[in-house]
Amino acid sequence: MGTSYSAVGWNRQKRIYDQVIAGCCVLYLVLFVLITVTVNPDCTFETVLLRSTSTLAVFILHVILSIGPLTRLNKKFLPLLYNRRHLGVTMFLLSAVHAVFGILQFHSLGNVNPLVSLFTSNTHYGSIADFPFQSLGFFAFVIFLLMAITSHDFWLHNLTPKTWKTLHMFVYLAYFLVVMHVMLGVIQYETNPVFVVIMISGAFILITLHLIAGMAEVKKDKKAYRPEEEGFVQVCDVRDVEESRAKIFCIAEERIAVYRHENKIYAIHNVCKHQGGPLGEGKILDGCITCPWHGYQYLPHNGQSPPPFTEKVSTYKVKITGNTIWLKPTPDTAGTTQQGAAVPAE
Amino acid sequence: MFTIVVYCLLIVIALYLLAGVVFTIFFQAKGLSCIDEGTHGSSLGFRVIIIPGCIVFWIVLLRKWMNIKAKNRAKANKEKRLL
Ligand code: HEM
Ligand code: FES
Repeated sequence: MGTSYSAVGWNRQKRIYDQVIAGCCVLYLVLFVLITVTVNPDCTFETVLLRSTSTLAVFILHVILSIGPLTRLNKKFLPLLYNRRHLGVTMFLLSAVHAVFGILQFHSLGNVNPLVSLFTSNTHYGSIADFPFQSLGFFAFVIFLLMAITSHDFWLHNLTPKTWKTLHMFVYLAYFLVVMHVMLGVIQYETNPVFVVIMISGAFILITLHLIAGMAEVKKDKKAYRPEEEGFVQVCDVRDVEESRAKIFCIAEERIAVYRHENKIYAIHNVCKHQGGPLGEGKILDGCITCPWHGYQYLPHNGQSPPPFTEKVSTYKVKITGNTIWLKPTPDTAGTTQQGAAVPAE
Repeated sequence: MFTIVVYCLLIVIALYLLAGVVFTIFFQAKGLSCIDEGTHGSSLGFRVIIIPGCIVFWIVLLRKWMNIKAKNRAKANKEKRLL
């Protein structure tokens, strides 16, 4: 939060997560090499390296792109979301080995600059069967590179969150470029259709997941609220909100998290000041609403981060009649103290 | 023709990045603590890990640094006049 930066924000869970990622990667690479050597002993070292790192990078890319919709569909996937950044950097490092070896193997032996050769050794840009697919891989790689070098929080603050987010949305363009890089490449050097089948099924799964999660979200956002009374709208029954947890409501296109804490109800803006994480999907730890993405904390009654931190989110007025929670959807200035509403005894 | 265009583009990019390298040396020495309070007392690892980003996004950082410097200078002048 407001404290000084360290190189990598590790804690016990993140270390375990990273060790699992590293272990799985090593296992995959070793298995890939062993299987290739037994099935196809003529395969050169460079080819095995190119293929093992690229296929693993593409697999991790699919995992990264599925985490978002999966967590929206089911909270059980939240631990995967936590630390997605390290998965991204791992994917980048693997694709860097593939890219550098690709350039070394195919473009560094002539007297033309390897990067120039990458774009000019094959100029059939109008052809599908002979398309210079490596240039597509190069552009995807540049996007991954830009994302990896700006993955530290320092960049989120100094490029501004909006620019940073836009830059990171380019991952979808990079994904498209990778798909085309593989498909157009495979037509040229491979008779076995297995790569094409894997790529198409991967893309199909990703698109379906995004569509399902998107539709679920739209349905929630479209829900109309009951008639108003002094600017308050009826949102739900107190028994629907568990202690230390929240429910999220989207009213007039704003998402609001309604939390229950020590038998009182409070409402704050759902968007975390760090990277826009969904505060209502987190829970209350040590008396603070804790963002599920990277753990920023806010006090339920005033939306302020506990000192020495200075982040603040907007708060909202709530009241309870009978067992019904009413919420006033106009926000009070970030950090405004609210009385909350006491939950009636059962 | 196409080859020449690619060569020229590469040279332009190389020059831009070279400027980034020069900028990063000065920036790490003086600018970093000026533009972001979070960097006070930060670790050496942090300084190393942001180097590639500084080389690529030097224009953004330079603009921010100059803006803050101009603001500080204006503030200092105002205080002088008041004295
Ligand atoms: C400068 C950038 C890149 C270059 C020069 C490059 C080059 C190549 C080459 C030469 C092949 C064919 C390898 C073979 O004959 O077996 C290939 C295939 C492939 N590339 Fe790339 N590539 C680049 C970037 C990427 C990136 C960023 C990814 C994805 C993360 C990627 C994923 C793949 C995959 C999955 C294959 C098919 C499997 C394989 O044969 O390795 N490439 N690439
Ligand atoms: S988005 Fe990072 S902590 Fe909330």
